[in-house]
Amino acid sequence: MPQIRENIAQSELTSDVVNTPIRKRTTDLDHAGGDTGAMQAFASLRDANVVLDGPVGCHVMPAVAVINYTDSIPYLQNVTCSELSENEVTLAGTLGVLKEKVAEATAAGRQVFIVSTPVSELIGATWTTEHAHVKGSALFFDSHSLDDDEWKSRDRALLFLWANRDHYVAPADAVRPPKTRPSVNIVGPTYGCFNSYSDLAEMKRLIAGIGADVNLVYPFEASSYDTARLSDADATVVMYQEFGKSLAREVGLPTFYAPIGLEPTTRFLLDLGRALGLEAEAKAFVALEKKTTLAAWHDIWRSTHSDFFANAPIAIVAPPTYKDGLTYYLGEELGLPISYSAYRTGAESAPSETVRAALSDASPSPMLVFGSINERMIIAQEKLPSRFLQSSFPGAVVRRATGTPYIGYTGAVWLLQCVCETLFDVLFANLPTSAAPPVQATAPTRELMADGAAAGAAGKGANSVIGWTDEAKALTEKTLKRVPFFVRVSVNKKLRAESEKLARERNCDVDEAIVREVTARFSPGSN
Amino acid sequence: MCPAFGAVRNLLRMEDAMPIVISSGDGCLYGHTFVAHFYVANRPIYSPGVSSEIWAKGSAFDELRGMVHEMAEKHAPSIIPICSLCVSDTVGLPFDLLPKQIGNTEIVYVPLPAYSVHTHARAKDIVVDSLVWRLPPQRKARSGVNLIGEIFPSDPIKIDEVLRKIGTHVNTTVPGPRWSDYVAMVDGAVNAPVHPFYSESVKRMKMKQGLPFVEGAPVGIDGTYRWIRSLAEPLKLDPALVERVAAEERDRAAAAIDQHRLDGLTLMVAGYEGHEFLLVRLLLEAGANVPFLSTAVNANPLAREEEAWLKERGCHVLYGANFADEIAALTDRPFDCVIGTTPLCAHAKELGIPSIYYTNAMATRSMMLAEGAADVLALVEQTVAAKSRYDRIARFFSEDETKLERTYTSWAPKIDITEHLIAHGAV
Repeated sequence: MPQIRENIAQSELTSDVVNTPIRKRTTDLDHAGGDTGAMQAFASLRDANVVLDGPVGCHVMPAVAVINYTDSIPYLQNVTCSELSENEVTLAGTLGVLKEKVAEATAAGRQVFIVSTPVSELIGATWTTEHAHVKGSALFFDSHSLDDDEWKSRDRALLFLWANRDHYVAPADAVRPPKTRPSVNIVGPTYGCFNSYSDLAEMKRLIAGIGADVNLVYPFEASSYDTARLSDADATVVMYQEFGKSLAREVGLPTFYAPIGLEPTTRFLLDLGRALGLEAEAKAFVALEKKTTLAAWHDIWRSTHSDFFANAPIAIVAPPTYKDGLTYYLGEELGLPISYSAYRTGAESAPSETVRAALSDASPSPMLVFGSINERMIIAQEKLPSRFLQSSFPGAVVRRATGTPYIGYTGAVWLLQCVCETLFDVLFANLPTSAAPPVQATAPTRELMADGAAAGAAGKGANSVIGWTDEAKALTEKTLKRVPFFVRVSVNKKLRAESEKLARERNCDVDEAIVREVTARFSPGSN
Repeated sequence: MCPAFGAVRNLLRMEDAMPIVISSGDGCLYGHTFVAHFYVANRPIYSPGVSSEIWAKGSAFDELRGMVHEMAEKHAPSIIPICSLCVSDTVGLPFDLLPKQIGNTEIVYVPLPAYSVHTHARAKDIVVDSLVWRLPPQRKARSGVNLIGEIFPSDPIKIDEVLRKIGTHVNTTVPGPRWSDYVAMVDGAVNAPVHPFYSESVKRMKMKQGLPFVEGAPVGIDGTYRWIRSLAEPLKLDPALVERVAAEERDRAAAAIDQHRLDGLTLMVAGYEGHEFLLVRLLLEAGANVPFLSTAVNANPLAREEEAWLKERGCHVLYGANFADEIAALTDRPFDCVIGTTPLCAHAKELGIPSIYYTNAMATRSMMLAEGAADVLALVEQTVAAKSRYDRIARFFSEDETKLERTYTSWAPKIDITEHLIAHGAV
């Protein structure tokens, strides 16, 4: 067992998370900054009050506007702000206004976390008072908001909470739950983590399934004074690669990461079971799952649905946990070709322009793109035929029903279901015949026979073959390459029929302009 | 919402503008792009990267200059507004060193340090002010009315119809979707700020354009009548004709309001967009009791007349809205409906009070003339009518006597595998 390092100075606790590089230019940023990440971590604690040391916008933007569209929460009630104005920024400093806000929150019995923002960092504001070492007094967190991304900041905030675990004051009636079974910490969910409600529910289900208890869901369902209790568990599960691993390292228990896909989930359950002395239970749970949760998976897999997989390309643009997880599950286990994948945050993240170029040039175009609103905009602006499933932030989405996990066995079923539904959607959009009501008869049968003289002269009779220019052929080929294989025949038929119809009307060959016109009419981005 | 977003939003809505946002950091930029993509535009937002190192080295300005040139040369938009938020404005980048024009593209600096901008309304004012300052001099031959204010797309058409009856027309509307909407102001004969917060813009327009101003807006019975009449003098229109049309429109508005009476209802209105003043006019004229208007807008000369009008009808204006006071007021007296900010509405709904978010519900609607009045009041009626639904939900979530702690995900039913195994003789 690794040693738990006691009484370590917080300055010694280093985060293992690598920042998203700051580029010289940014288009459509895909991650929030350090102040936002820290706020989302601290505010997740039940007894916390975060005081953002900044102008009103630094409070309202993350804690009212954005949170409403990431977590569907009207606003975070335990976040306040020093509301800096010119006076503080240029003259007085922030200590005076901070004191008021801190006093208000402390009076309400809350553990206060003061979080720096770009402006407060610029003017070098900190929180230095004689009460700093009194238990339960306000703590100041330098969020490195000018430099760190939200993930690194969440990671650092969790470390900071741990380093200060003896600082918090528990209410007199706080009870330490008795321990009867092996227990596990879930380190992860904070506000603003995509799909975390569902993923957390699935993780709880998996842990309960092998006969273990959850010690703490940290910080999402804990109070600050619970922090020291993290060491009561027998293992730690970290939900995301993006943050939390440094805390797990410091807590020092056997650490596991939330799995995406069938095999990773099985391995996770067996390994966790082994670490907790619940190996037989874990095996039994896996066996039970195969007959229950995964029965759906097995049925879909055995259906004709899976016949399309090899020809249904996808693209994945997401932070590491989802990007790696989806790449393995959808690419390796289901066998969907991955036409493009990229990290949107972290050390190897791809800037928006790179993603735009890659998605536009992909051949065939991905049938389904897992991404953020940035990818959704690229699909629309570049008129790509791809469907979209939001799988990361930014982008307004509601993911509060807990039935849409990506992790675990339920996640495997939900993702498989999403892929199949997209297949059906693409098929419907490309059905070979869509004339409802049917095309009306405009003439009796006799008149449908070509009028030899007239048709022959123009060469464009109702049923004559229409010529295609080389440019038109080339463009058609290029257009078709963008379309998934399994609907290419339908699209080809439609494109040909519509182009020739136009050519007939205009009494000319099918040229590039006609193909372009027809293509535009059927592109999803054009409506 | 960050106050500066009021400006960023207006600029992103300009089709021929390519705004550059110099953020204070990634947290700031993320917030702005997030809400911009949700509320405004399916379009990229450009920013120079910022970090403590970049600020210390001063390299942000060189990058900005490069960006401006590249964007102007490659895309040739009509205008590149440069929105400078808190940190860049505190650091003080030398924006004067940027070219004023590159080819046909205007480069305009828009100062938006949120710590001194304070409100959305003020940020919009700054945008209009910054752009108007760049306009060519006013033309000698002028006609028509420049409408200044964010209004519903069909409003200028409706207003124009009325103005043509009295011998004038709508010349242009700002903020508009194109730079040419602003440029057209030089042809107008009178400026009409229809929201009571464009005070800085108005001040500068007075310095620069020398045009007469008409205040107020054609909203409600009294507002419509007075606004139309006030155009007669500066535009030298036929007073009898103007009087007749103004009376006609007044009667149409009164008839519309009569269809949607709100007598006996007590409403709370809290807004930060500025047109909450106009909304309250309508509510009062429909017979509602609105004890106060809470607005993020600061007291300013343009709001003075509006304030007096509201006060006469029992509505006090609280400038620089205080959320704590609004919450306290909610429990103070029985409100029938709340039209306000997201947090306020969340509280009201918790108490079972029908409520709607100002920006989503009101700011997306016309309020002008008879049609606008009918539309807005119908929405309020509809909301109030849903009282029993709000009550039912509020009761459902407050009736339990055991106060369980709230968790975000349901606990899975505990399948006790150990017991299961023992039962089957496996362990």
